[in-house]
Amino acid sequence: MGDESYNFVFKVVLIGESGVGKSNLLSRFTKNEFNHDSRTTIGVEFSTRTVQLDTATIKAQIWDTAGLERYRAITSAYYRGAVGALLVYDITKHLTYESVERWLKELYDHADPHILVMLVGNKSDLETLRTVPTVEAKEFAEKKGILFMETSALDSTNVEAAFQEVLTAIHKKVASREVTRGSISAVTLSSATGTASEVQEERRTCCKNL
Amino acid sequence: MARIRIEPGNGLKSVESIKSLRGTRESLALTDEGNSFGSDSELNGYTSERQTDKYGFIGGAQQYSEQSAEDIPPEVLRQREAKWLEMLNNWDKWMAKRHKKMKLRCQKGIPPSLRGRAWLYLSGGKVKREQHKGKFEELDRQAGDPKWVDVIEKDLHRQFPFHEMFVARGGHGQQDLYRVLKAYTLHRPEEGYCQAQAPIAAVLLMHMPAEDAFWGLVQICEKYLPGYYSVGLEAIQLDGEILFALLKRVSPLAHRHLKKHKLDPILYMTEWFMCAFSRTLPWASVLRVWDMFLCEGVKIIFRVGLVLLKCMLGSQDKLKTCQGQYETMELLKTIDTRYMLEGFLVREIIELPLSERDVEKEHLAQLRRWKETRGELHCKSPPRMHGAKAIMAAEPPSRQDLRQNPTIIVESSLATNKDVEGQEEDKARIKTKEQKNGKKNGTPVASNPEPSDTSTKPSPPLKDTPLQGSNQSLISTEHDTYL
Repeated sequence: MGDESYNFVFKVVLIGESGVGKSNLLSRFTKNEFNHDSRTTIGVEFSTRTVQLDTATIKAQIWDTAGLERYRAITSAYYRGAVGALLVYDITKHLTYESVERWLKELYDHADPHILVMLVGNKSDLETLRTVPTVEAKEFAEKKGILFMETSALDSTNVEAAFQEVLTAIHKKVASREVTRGSISAVTLSSATGTASEVQEERRTCCKNL
Repeated sequence: MARIRIEPGNGLKSVESIKSLRGTRESLALTDEGNSFGSDSELNGYTSERQTDKYGFIGGAQQYSEQSAEDIPPEVLRQREAKWLEMLNNWDKWMAKRHKKMKLRCQKGIPPSLRGRAWLYLSGGKVKREQHKGKFEELDRQAGDPKWVDVIEKDLHRQFPFHEMFVARGGHGQQDLYRVLKAYTLHRPEEGYCQAQAPIAAVLLMHMPAEDAFWGLVQICEKYLPGYYSVGLEAIQLDGEILFALLKRVSPLAHRHLKKHKLDPILYMTEWFMCAFSRTLPWASVLRVWDMFLCEGVKIIFRVGLVLLKCMLGSQDKLKTCQGQYETMELLKTIDTRYMLEGFLVREIIELPLSERDVEKEHLAQLRRWKETRGELHCKSPPRMHGAKAIMAAEPPSRQDLRQNPTIIVESSLATNKDVEGQEEDKARIKTKEQKNGKKNGTPVASNPEPSDTSTKPSPPLKDTPLQGSNQSLISTEHDTYL
């Protein structure tokens, strides 16, 4: 956690089929670590990292959970307060890409309608085993109005970039809303910007709704 | 990620076979205190000083440390083994008439050499196996639903990857894990596979062969924790609410804090309960908890949860450090090791006044609340059995079902003077010893004389008889005890 001061706390969730690499994207981004045999995620895992954007310091709170279908039943607590989502598939397993549509639906059913989404094709290091063409996924993302990037948690390719892009985009949406360290753990996406006192008022309400 | 403390010189042995493993991980570094393992900023490849602790964990994984494990003097262990052998031979009598004593012995900790067998008896898995002879074999032969097989295969290298049994991709441990999990999906196709079943099966496999582990898994999924792994995961959510409600009495401070920060129980107790703490506690503590859990039922799991919550959130100065929901979650993810140590934890569990009745009462209350707020349950699980005695009472076994079947029977002219009981005990002792000696390094198990005969040549007065069932190799379907 550390004592760095930050302007915002953004909760970002990792979703997608089992085995696509969510946990390793988490560990790569927050700890610069990768493990071929990381344990199956059961329940919720999370980690934070503070990043510097152009104009602000963001504390990114990344959440990770089990991808298996069965766990869909317990995810409402997981989505609560999330302002961003990385929808991950495995570029070498076409089936994991095919369920992206279903995951999007799940996301919009449970999360904030304004949540910022990025489609992430992971395992780009396994180019020779690719079954999902980049162009196809890119077009799909554009059609759905979501961001897109291909990454490799294994060799780090684009992991920084993906998170940076998501956090920057969220920041743009959130604009002038400010939080102080400690008392508030998430930011919501409802639009209002106002004077300092208004923000103060709104902040208290936001807290209550968490 | 777990915090690991590696203490050199407490009985760790090096494992040369690690060198020959096919590439399974980027790097496995022996790091210093406090660092997470698996960091690729450290070594690439393996070192030959990869050390395994007495439970089979490599490099200090699962929080092995000198202080965490209680070392029982050998004489005491021997006495306990004798007592347990006697209990196993008269299981139904002990369950019926001396259950309190048995419970006490489970609380003390089952001797490692008999743990697998005791677990199989406690869970009722032994009885199930006898009553359904050939069933596992039949399921084992089938290919399995590709939908489940696919997911299971993805998980095989992700269970206790730092345990020597499961570290090798495609190794015997992972193979057996596959067999057990696949068999379950065939046994209960409407249930299929739930990822948390893998660690449960893995723990069982560390103590018994695949067929036994299968029946142990069946019992846990259906009797101890019914509905935990089913579609909808309603049972685990309900137990989360029960845990939270029970916490109010155990630690009002902790309860109030969790309530204030709207921390959904699902956010901290899911892995705890679904894996019966096998992924949370130091290994010595996992084994002690399971000894009690298989004897007394789910109330033990609740007690562990309550103790940990009380310890981590039960005082003002602890709460000062967690200002928000996220900080609280982080705290509960990194439980202070001293609260998880075998000695401390077991004492706390035994002393916590929480009975089956308390659990059931709260269960009813939460069920009512669920129906009011969320409607009917989609998945009506059967009622849970609170431990070994309840399981046995529900499905009373025959004497035959409980009979211990030694895999090695040695006929000896020396034995003619002893009474039958002595003979049985000898056989059992020989078997245990042989498992310890033979299985450990994979050499064929010979019908060897007792230690006092080591001075003689390998043609002892004892006559070799053909082994029952065992084919004298590592891949044995009979009793195996990984130590």
